[in-house]
Amino acid sequence: MKKSESRFDVELRRRGVSRREFVAFCGVMASTLALPRSLEAKIAAALQKSEKPVLVWLEFQDCAGNTESFLRATKPTAAEVVLDTLSVDYHETIMAAAGHQAVEALERTVKDRKGEYIVIVEGSIPTGANGAYCTIGGRSALQIAREVCGGAAATIAVGTCAAYGGLPAASPNPTGALGVADAVPGLKNLINLPACPANAENITALVVYYLTFKSFPPLDQYKRPLFAYGKSIHDNCERRAHFDASQYVEAWGDEPHRTGYCLYKMGCKGPVTFQNCPQIRWNEGTNWPIGCGHPCIGCAEPDFWDKMTPFYQHLPNVPGFGRAASIDKVGLLATAGVAAVFATHGVISLIHRSTGPKGGETPPPPVEPVEKVGKGDRP
Amino acid sequence: MSTSIPDAVSTSGRHYPIDPHPAEHSDLVRVYVWEWPVRLTHWAIVLSIAVLAVTGITIGYPLLVVRGPAGENFLIGTFKIVHSYAAIVFTLSVLSRIAWMFLGNHFATWDKFIPVKSRRRRGLWRTLRFYLFQLRKPPGFIGHNPLAGLTYTLVFGLYLVMITTGFSLYSMSAGVSSPMRVFRFLVPLVGGLQTARFIHHGVMWLLIGFAVHHVYSAVLMSQVEANATMESIFSGYKFVHKDDVIYSGYRYIDPKDIHDQHL
Repeated sequence: MKKSESRFDVELRRRGVSRREFVAFCGVMASTLALPRSLEAKIAAALQKSEKPVLVWLEFQDCAGNTESFLRATKPTAAEVVLDTLSVDYHETIMAAAGHQAVEALERTVKDRKGEYIVIVEGSIPTGANGAYCTIGGRSALQIAREVCGGAAATIAVGTCAAYGGLPAASPNPTGALGVADAVPGLKNLINLPACPANAENITALVVYYLTFKSFPPLDQYKRPLFAYGKSIHDNCERRAHFDASQYVEAWGDEPHRTGYCLYKMGCKGPVTFQNCPQIRWNEGTNWPIGCGHPCIGCAEPDFWDKMTPFYQHLPNVPGFGRAASIDKVGLLATAGVAAVFATHGVISLIHRSTGPKGGETPPPPVEPVEKVGKGDRP
Repeated sequence: MSTSIPDAVSTSGRHYPIDPHPAEHSDLVRVYVWEWPVRLTHWAIVLSIAVLAVTGITIGYPLLVVRGPAGENFLIGTFKIVHSYAAIVFTLSVLSRIAWMFLGNHFATWDKFIPVKSRRRRGLWRTLRFYLFQLRKPPGFIGHNPLAGLTYTLVFGLYLVMITTGFSLYSMSAGVSSPMRVFRFLVPLVGGLQTARFIHHGVMWLLIGFAVHHVYSAVLMSQVEANATMESIFSGYKFVHKDDVIYSGYRYIDPKDIHDQHL
């Protein structure tokens, strides 16, 4: 007796994904989401009978890097099937329709599936010049975002540009670029998945969570899911033991670098960057930047380009003090300046006291007693 | 001269806890200025800042290279732990001193830090003139002079900035059961962790600069006032000329000010 296969099972079989691989995928998703192993079966069951949620993918000021990350599968995987269960009604980079047909598809979704569809936003939203820096089908990114995100069940801002403005919003921000949260305030169910690009595993895990629980995972104060952004890179880093032991790379290619010591002194932003790179890594778990000897550049943090640069320095330079003026250099010089000022004062003070009249050595005569003294006039 | 001691009451009628047995033939009066909470918090702040600066600079620029297996060494890890505990001592000391501004004696209260009274505002300018060599002596306030008090207000502001940025940096990596996690809300308020770090470094240098000035000024005042200013932060007592007790802060007064109703 053969149980009736769901659409999902048919799809898995058609693509040659075995049951074993699918269950393994569900296990990976459960662990990425920091869920107990026992929920693996629930995830598998939920995915198998899930209905096709409608998804709209908006691209604004971006490089399509998140799209590339999202579509990066090198072989048919269970993840691909899961993502294909989403009915992607609009995605400029991958949809077959073009021009008016594409715009119509978007309008149809927004009108017919109001409050049901999920919108993924990639890229920042320019607000300068009345939105003229990014227009699609004659409408500005801001207008499109307001309308499409406003009617969505949830908005997922993928990538640092969509989450915080990213590269387009870097100083001096000529287009007035903003992240989704700032450009369209008050959106319900907004989830940020920052990073440049967002890790496909996290996008997939977020979708799996939604399909399984019909809700969204707990978020932090920057609206990032805690499962992916709950710990700093530094706290989960495989090289952390070298940090705590005071073993650091001092120069590119030196013995500590070849040994795999901590990259903190090479400007690693791991201590101030929150993402699960150390666990899930990149390119299907192959490796990640610190794993191959490059410091974290902090791509998943707000104001990434303005605050995490220079990439190979601990802290940004002090504005207005030239190119290599770290806050600590400026601070040390300022302290030396203060010491010099008071040393000079001390010398002048000594001369002043030794040359002046001797009156200063005895207390000066008191003034005449004051008859009337104001209230609160105490020493 | 000892007969005049019981009359050592200020113009506002305030009685000072002066030494009942002063040295014979002395014009100096022993005044209890700094109560033990003031002295204790002062030295706790001094020591914790010293520990925080040394460990903090080392964490920022780890110069010591440790050989051997990483798992058998914990140098910077230890520095971070010491930094965190010193930060707790520092925070509690600062908060205690702020509380004492409302509980302590006449010389410890908040209005010695913020010059709300006209006499202290005048004293502010006169103290500055002393520093610029226009006056031979400072105006003769027994406790904090108005300029020092205002400087400490700025310094306490810097302390609070350090506490805020430090707590926000710590909160993001605090363990799941740590009460420090409640301070995560501070992170966006201080402009993110990288900005918090930048401010934390910059303000440290401002505080080190303040320490230089503070030690210098204490030595200078101790010399020109000759009233045991330096010793007072250990003992609590200053030896003040009896005229200064009666007319504190009135040196170099303009004769026309004497008739000023708003003195």
